[in-house]
Amino acid sequence: MNSIDPRVNRLPIVEIVKPKAPLDQFGTYEVFVEPKPGKPFQHEGAVHAPNLEMAYILAKETFTRRFTCSSLYVVDTRDVFVSPLTEGDQNVFDLIEESESANGTSDFEIYQLSKRGKQHVFLGSVKASTPQEAIAIAKTKLNTGKMVYNIWAIEANKIRFTTEEEKEYWITLPEKKFRDASNYKGGDKLKQFLEKVKA
Amino acid sequence: MNNQALKELLYKMADDQLILGHRNSEWTGMGPLLEEDIAFSSMAQDKIGQSLALYTLLQELGERDPDTVAFTRNANQFHNCQLVELPNQEYDFSLIRHFLFDTAEALRFEMLSESSYEPLAQLARKIRGELRYHTLHANTWIKQLGTATPESIDRLQKSLENALPFALGIFEHSPHEQELISSNIFLGEETLKKRWKEKVESVISQTDLTLPDWILVEPTFGGRIGEHTAHLQPLLDEMSEVFKIDPTAEW
Repeated sequence: MNSIDPRVNRLPIVEIVKPKAPLDQFGTYEVFVEPKPGKPFQHEGAVHAPNLEMAYILAKETFTRRFTCSSLYVVDTRDVFVSPLTEGDQNVFDLIEESESANGTSDFEIYQLSKRGKQHVFLGSVKASTPQEAIAIAKTKLNTGKMVYNIWAIEANKIRFTTEEEKEYWITLPEKKFRDASNYKGGDKLKQFLEKVKA
Repeated sequence: MNNQALKELLYKMADDQLILGHRNSEWTGMGPLLEEDIAFSSMAQDKIGQSLALYTLLQELGERDPDTVAFTRNANQFHNCQLVELPNQEYDFSLIRHFLFDTAEALRFEMLSESSYEPLAQLARKIRGELRYHTLHANTWIKQLGTATPESIDRLQKSLENALPFALGIFEHSPHEQELISSNIFLGEETLKKRWKEKVESVISQTDLTLPDWILVEPTFGGRIGEHTAHLQPLLDEMSEVFKIDPTAEW
């Protein structure tokens, strides 16, 4: 699958799950943010890092230094399994076939892309033995019939979550208005200045 | 409560945060990785914010306003430890300083969250999460580079040895040490130093770095009484350059 979005080309597709190849540079880690308690996690982007824990500390400031955040998690890009990507009126769930169950099950987080060009948003969790099966189960359990263009399945035990105690990282964040350009009201100040000059 | 003792404590803490915040901000745009550049700059900004909160407490105790205090004093009127004013050097030194200082800072505020001076205790509780991230960031980097390659281990080891005498200077005694302890404002520098050593030892023991015998490390004192290295005044000149063009300007 070729895409002009480099993230898409970087991701493995479900049909070709392979062992991780060693990298000759820092790999990427996908970053998911819960903007407020109760809101679904959504994909925000990626960071480069040598390992999962480093990715977590780098993602925290790269993606949550402004606005609000209540929780964050990161996962190795190679642990995100993606379905085919569809366009137009093709719902990706209609392309998903049943998948055979292997031994053992684990929890998978399922993400959906419901509008091209937007972020992947958390859809729900399922128990499955493989990412392929997780997506097949998502089709029967989480599919609402609404248009979905792409599905991601991420095994929960591969994720570096934010612990309950760590949620205090963001307590003072709403006060850091100085990080938001609109807080400086540059336009208003310019307008005042120009009026003063005119008068 | 003794105001002199309290003010001395607040000044040295605020000056540490301001000077290190400024130093660390010198990495902005030049960090080793884009993501790290952002993280280190954000934490520098947090430090300046924490210094503002402390200068504001000082203002409530009758001192001048925070901008005046921050931008119009000379080096010999600053009470920061010398560790925070040293030049950034290479990133290994900046990281080691960040680790050594922020470990002490987080423990100091943890102790102060029980302070009998309630405004300070409130501030300590409020910024606990920020400091928690700062120490996670520092510990993760030290564990990463402290076990990575012979070069990274060697660089961190040398920086650690250079920084340790200055780091012990954080705990220079105040003339009011006993008053702070007996009035339950602060448990004192000796208690802090003991907890700091334990924490530093526990992180370093998870790496290939080694700590020298503490007895052999001669602390560098003087910062708390206004004795500084030649590096502080140029920093202050640069930091206050814009402010001094027009001290009454509104930004």
